[in-house]
Amino acid sequence: MPAKREAGRLLDSYRPLRGVFDEMVDEQGRPRASWRRFIAALDALGPDELKRRFARADQYLRDAGVYYRLYDKDGAKEREWPLAYVPMLVDEDEWATISAGLIQRAELFEAIAADIYGDNRLVAQGLLPPSLVASSPEYLRPVAGAVPAGGHFLHFCAFELGRGPDGGWWVLGDRMQAPSGAGFALENRVATTRALSDIYAETHVHRVAGFFRGFRDTLVGMAGGQSGAVAILTPGPLNDTYFEHAYIARYLGFMLLEGEDLTVANGQVMVRTVAGLKPVSVLWRRLDAAFADPLEFRPESRIGTPGLAEAVRRGSVSVVNALGVGILETRAFLAFLPRIARALRGEDLALPGIATWWCGQEAERRHVLEHLDRMVVGPALSTGLSFEDDGSSILGAGLGPQERRALAGRIDADGGGFVGQEAVTLSTTPVFIDGRLEARPASLRIYLARTAGGWTVMPGGFARVGASADPTAIAMQRGGRAADVWVVSAKPVPRDTLMQDGAENLRRSPPGTLPSRAAENLVWLGRYIERAEDAVRILRAYHVRLAESSDPDMPLLAEVRRYMKPFGIDIESAIPDGLAGSLDSAAYSANQIRDRFSPDGWLALRDLSNTVHRFARNVTAGDDATRAMTVLLRKLAGFSGLLQENMYRSTGWRFLEIGRRLERGIQIARSLAWLTGRKMPEGALDMMLEIGDSVLTHRRQYAVGSGRLSLIDLLALEPLNPRSVLFQLARLKEEIAHLPHAAENGQLSAAGKEILRLHTGLAIKEAKDLGPDALNRLANEIGDLYTAVARSYFA
Amino acid sequence: MLYDIKLLMHYDYALPVGGGRHHLRVLPLNLDGAQRVVASSLSVSPSPAERSDFTDFFGNAVTAVAFRDAHDSFETRMTARVSVSRPEPDFDVSPPLTVLGGELARTWSLDRASPHHFTASSDHASLATDITAYARESLAPARSVAALAMDLCLRIHRDFDYDGDATTVATTAGEAFSLKRGVCQDFSHVMIAGLRGLGVPAAYVSGFLRTIPPPGKPRLEGADAMHAWVRVWCGREAGWQEFDPTNGMRAGSDHITVGHGRDYSDVAPIVGVLKITGAQAGDQSVDVVALE
Repeated sequence: MPAKREAGRLLDSYRPLRGVFDEMVDEQGRPRASWRRFIAALDALGPDELKRRFARADQYLRDAGVYYRLYDKDGAKEREWPLAYVPMLVDEDEWATISAGLIQRAELFEAIAADIYGDNRLVAQGLLPPSLVASSPEYLRPVAGAVPAGGHFLHFCAFELGRGPDGGWWVLGDRMQAPSGAGFALENRVATTRALSDIYAETHVHRVAGFFRGFRDTLVGMAGGQSGAVAILTPGPLNDTYFEHAYIARYLGFMLLEGEDLTVANGQVMVRTVAGLKPVSVLWRRLDAAFADPLEFRPESRIGTPGLAEAVRRGSVSVVNALGVGILETRAFLAFLPRIARALRGEDLALPGIATWWCGQEAERRHVLEHLDRMVVGPALSTGLSFEDDGSSILGAGLGPQERRALAGRIDADGGGFVGQEAVTLSTTPVFIDGRLEARPASLRIYLARTAGGWTVMPGGFARVGASADPTAIAMQRGGRAADVWVVSAKPVPRDTLMQDGAENLRRSPPGTLPSRAAENLVWLGRYIERAEDAVRILRAYHVRLAESSDPDMPLLAEVRRYMKPFGIDIESAIPDGLAGSLDSAAYSANQIRDRFSPDGWLALRDLSNTVHRFARNVTAGDDATRAMTVLLRKLAGFSGLLQENMYRSTGWRFLEIGRRLERGIQIARSLAWLTGRKMPEGALDMMLEIGDSVLTHRRQYAVGSGRLSLIDLLALEPLNPRSVLFQLARLKEEIAHLPHAAENGQLSAAGKEILRLHTGLAIKEAKDLGPDALNRLANEIGDLYTAVARSYFA
Repeated sequence: MLYDIKLLMHYDYALPVGGGRHHLRVLPLNLDGAQRVVASSLSVSPSPAERSDFTDFFGNAVTAVAFRDAHDSFETRMTARVSVSRPEPDFDVSPPLTVLGGELARTWSLDRASPHHFTASSDHASLATDITAYARESLAPARSVAALAMDLCLRIHRDFDYDGDATTVATTAGEAFSLKRGVCQDFSHVMIAGLRGLGVPAAYVSGFLRTIPPPGKPRLEGADAMHAWVRVWCGREAGWQEFDPTNGMRAGSDHITVGHGRDYSDVAPIVGVLKITGAQAGDQSVDVVALE
């Protein structure tokens, strides 16, 4: 039996490091109990099947558009999510011990936050040096004394853990400012189970959906049961973890907002929506607090909301986590936690933190200087994790005598500015490389959420796995991978998803509010897509003719080149930059509203943008370009089909539709004005029919050849032709009538009046009335309609 | 001394601004044993959609206003009657710098007057080796912190030129130090950065100066706009003492306090966030009349 033959292979070649704890095997190289079933199942599949399956996980992540943004010297890049395919397994009993320790830690930090922003007894009692608070950039004085609206400073925390050589766990860092990665943990889980679905089912892995459901319910509870009053506040698409913000917003069904979506009126935070200002009472923020209010924190912030600090002081909004808790991440605080735990809670820390000495104290400074070989020395007030900071942390063991003296000098001159931390050796976990398992150091990120019943711990999380075998924590800085974490039980575990059976509530929730900025992006997405389609049609018509005549000086071709130039389409290159620009702009607009976009839609859009850039590298004029344009048209049609068939007719869809119809109306009117002009070269009318995708219809409707008037009739005035200008105006009239406040007390909105005037005006025209000037005027008037919509809904 | 103070701040916008939110820090403070506000009022035009008052972390009076409608100018007028009697310190009880660090470390407090708020770099007053080296020249064996501060205050007055065109409200201590010129704000930032560099807590004070000097005394610099000077923590016993490097003197009863902060950005008379597309121009006028 093949399974039998393969068994043990993966283990046979696995070489844990000496003197380092390994997660999978014990000192004798035997698999630990919690891994036994799993590793046997992996072995049974064999290396080739594993490769196939892990490729499936990668495919899933690509399809779902999971990325993170990496900043380096060449600017920001979107990178594929680096999944380490083999999960890290932790036994549920051990997990329970870790969980209890982390809950204690979360409660301790809650008490410290309440003290720092309250009556400062920790400082008065000598348990926390005042300079560590007063000099910290994360100490936000404008909210000192403010009691959080929900009563708590902390609702969602993450902790970074490592396991030492003795098998005990250490807390390496505390994340409370705006912990990231929970959404990536979810995606890791989905991708890993795609690859290992059968093994996952047999391994008795605890599910993570319940954790998210519990936290969602808590946030909705904090908003008085109104999920529409809960929002996730993101720094925006340029943030390195924006994908995750959009993902969590979509997963939990909350609005995703940026600072400019919000305004504060009479101390209440409001979101600007297409239906006016709507109150928000819970903000789960993913931006650093210092950027949240330019009026009271960092004035240079462009991503904040003026007045937010005032709303917090008035208690009209719950910010999760509270503004100012970033100070809890201060590295030097770790030196004081054990004493604070005993003083505040009368107990020792159940999970030790990484040993830390603050050099602002005489004895501690001496200790650090005398044991520099075993230390990582870094800035005392830094809130970065020592193993992922910007290089300001120094591994003592790596220093030559001269550097050592220089460091000692700096520490002596400014002791309060430094901490020494024990250089930690991490445990190793297996990763799958070239068909074998190799031991790599790993740290664990675990998430805690506050619910009505107290803190809950996500039974999972993600493990960061080092790129090399160097087990020192500081070596984790770059190039590592992320592994799913499976908390495994000896017995079957309950299944769980975000949708809960049984307690199903069939009442439809009211349509969510649409922020004005999202609506504006949707309109522009529609416009860019349509603009691209129009350009592709014209380019195809051009290249077909070029391929047939192979005379680029043919008058009609010269005319097309002249016409397209002002639109940024330079036909000298087969795939003009302007075309790629429209598709890039469409993808950019869509990226601003990722939470409102299905993964399929996003994928289709990315595919379009990738395709046009690929074509730009190798497509040549004539036949080749004709084929390329046909491919692009097919992909554009696919995207439009998705929008028509799969998108819920929300207010958001209406804005997208308005954008498309506006742009199509403008383009057709403009092209008609151009190609039906008096002095056009021969073939212009046929080309117009082709651009207007109406060759067949025209042949059927008007038995004679293409005449100027029949063309104008078909493409401007025919109400049933989905490419005619009148058709676009009819669609616009319908969609605008469905927008919020479209008609109040019998009064039409400004946009409503304008489209009614335009539609009626065109409907009563005849083809002979529509000369080039009238058509150009019509195009401009449709353009002005955008201004009317923008003024009513985006201002 | 009893003073009548008038402050007018006026801004014109080239294009109407759509809305905005401002914090004003212009009302004089009540300070135990040094300054008492008899009466004060603040008016804002056009009439704001929202207006509220609060006290900030450092104890300064803040008036918050918000506009929702388009407007093309913004004006605020403050009038106050304030009595000032800042006692002259009789003799110097401040310790030498070598002792100050220990006193600071034994000060377990974060209240608004705690020296710990005023030791680190801040936006306008970053610690810099050149400024620290300049300040260090004021050190002398056994010299007290207050004497050190006074010496530095006099040296800045002597070494720097008063020049209203050399700097702006955004100028940092480092820039002003290289220029060796500027206005009260710049001199104060340089003195603050220098003292902090030596380990002496130093704070920024914003306020007013009497316009017409007493008979026989010279007119002081900085009387035609809001003024700024420096508060220095001179140890647990001597506490905070105030120095005016622009005029090379201790702050006395000619100085009327509006706000305390780490530097200008904590006490700027007006901060605001506006939706603005065009240019803006502003001016400020101050009149401080002694009544007795």
